[in-house]
Amino acid sequence: MICHEKLTSKQLFAFALSFKSARIFLASVMLIWLGSQTSFAGNSQIDDANKLVTQMMVDVESILAQDINDDLARRENVSALFDRYFDLPTIAKFSAGPYWRAADADQKTAYETAIRDVIIGTVVRNFDQLSGLKFTATDSQAKGTQLVLVNGTFTDNKQQQPPIVVGWRVITADNASPRILDVEIENISMLVTQKQENIAIIRKNEGKFSALIDAMNQRSQSNN
Amino acid sequence: MAHKEMTMSSIPIVRRWPLWRGGFAVLLFGMLAACSSTPEANRSDLRDPYENTNRKIFAFNMGVDSYVLKPVADGYRSNVPDAGRRAIDNHLDWAGLPSTALNSTIQGDLENAALATIHFAINGLTLGFDDLTENPGAVEKRDFGQTLARANVPEGDYLMVPLLGAHSGRNLAGRVVDSLTNPLSFFQAGNVGSTMRTAQIPARAVAFRANNFDTINDIKYNSIDSYARTRSLYYQMRAGALRDRQNNDQAPSATDDQFDAFFDEPAK
Repeated sequence: MICHEKLTSKQLFAFALSFKSARIFLASVMLIWLGSQTSFAGNSQIDDANKLVTQMMVDVESILAQDINDDLARRENVSALFDRYFDLPTIAKFSAGPYWRAADADQKTAYETAIRDVIIGTVVRNFDQLSGLKFTATDSQAKGTQLVLVNGTFTDNKQQQPPIVVGWRVITADNASPRILDVEIENISMLVTQKQENIAIIRKNEGKFSALIDAMNQRSQSNN
Repeated sequence: MAHKEMTMSSIPIVRRWPLWRGGFAVLLFGMLAACSSTPEANRSDLRDPYENTNRKIFAFNMGVDSYVLKPVADGYRSNVPDAGRRAIDNHLDWAGLPSTALNSTIQGDLENAALATIHFAINGLTLGFDDLTENPGAVEKRDFGQTLARANVPEGDYLMVPLLGAHSGRNLAGRVVDSLTNPLSFFQAGNVGSTMRTAQIPARAVAFRANNFDTINDIKYNSIDSYARTRSLYYQMRAGALRDRQNNDQAPSATDDQFDAFFDEPAK
């Protein structure tokens, strides 16, 4: 009886031990699996971002090949490119900084329109500068869980200008097609620059978000 | 008699220039310190306590650009052939190599220091106008502002300096030190070397304006607030230069921090 009791205790202990080992084993397997899943998800995000940037550059080259220095046609092409590849809602939200939260729905809509016009206007004005340049992707890296930075260089076909280092910041959120959020040229983020300029304008106008929208609309009209 | 001959013009230029330039920097600091700082609530950027004065100086600099620098740079672009412009760019880069060698040494990057020294010696045969090395991009430019940053010297306030443009306090101090290491500083007044040294300052401004002609025009004429845009670009450029010094492309940048903060905050 005593022996049986001892045996049972041993069995129970062995069972508990094996159960504990099994749990550790299972937990390890789960961790490895989850880790690999995260890694695979990251890789697929990076692939998606690379494909998006590559496809966009193909489209840019196609537009440049057909470009006849007509501002209206150029604006239409750039607008289509922007709407297809860029994430306007996130660009608007980011570039408005902390003032986005205080803005009402009408202001947010007006601001989205204004910032879209400003960005497209900037690209149209500088579109010539892309002519004769070739983009080559160099590497890509995940930046947190939602962003991928696709790095590359623009090289001058005639080799008269030094290469320009460019990074495309792509949002690759779950269940949504990837979109470009920002362009970094030689370590300078276009979106951060726009955001800091916007915040400066709002602060100079005593925190009025509407002042920024008015200033953007005036600038866009004077440039058109 | 010997004492009498020791006039200002006979003092080696290597001694007079630093004093003059140091005095200029002290004068600038004094001018800015005398300016009343803008209250925090009225600043468009907290790093810019002298914003009201800085904006006035920026307007002055833009005037100088419109009436002097831009027309000269435009003429330079139109009339000087690419090869000539490249030679001038090479010479200006060459003149900065001693500073790069010195600062790389202080920063502990002996490889870059050695590269800068070799490039300086080889290209010195042509005074830097022709690049005789196989890989001109091998040397990473370093300045004393970066060295001060590495020594954890605070960045200081944002300063718009007449004719020289945007600087942080730390970077302006670094610029004074860097000017002492110009190889042509060792020529005495009246020499060709001294003349070239003096000509480097406007040449650098014209070459920079010409090399970035469309970009600067876009900032100047198409920004909503060109002052704020210039300030943002300046800080990002300096952050990029400091990141290059760390030689770690994978390290998070100041821009990464902004995006991290954006995605961390609750959606609305």
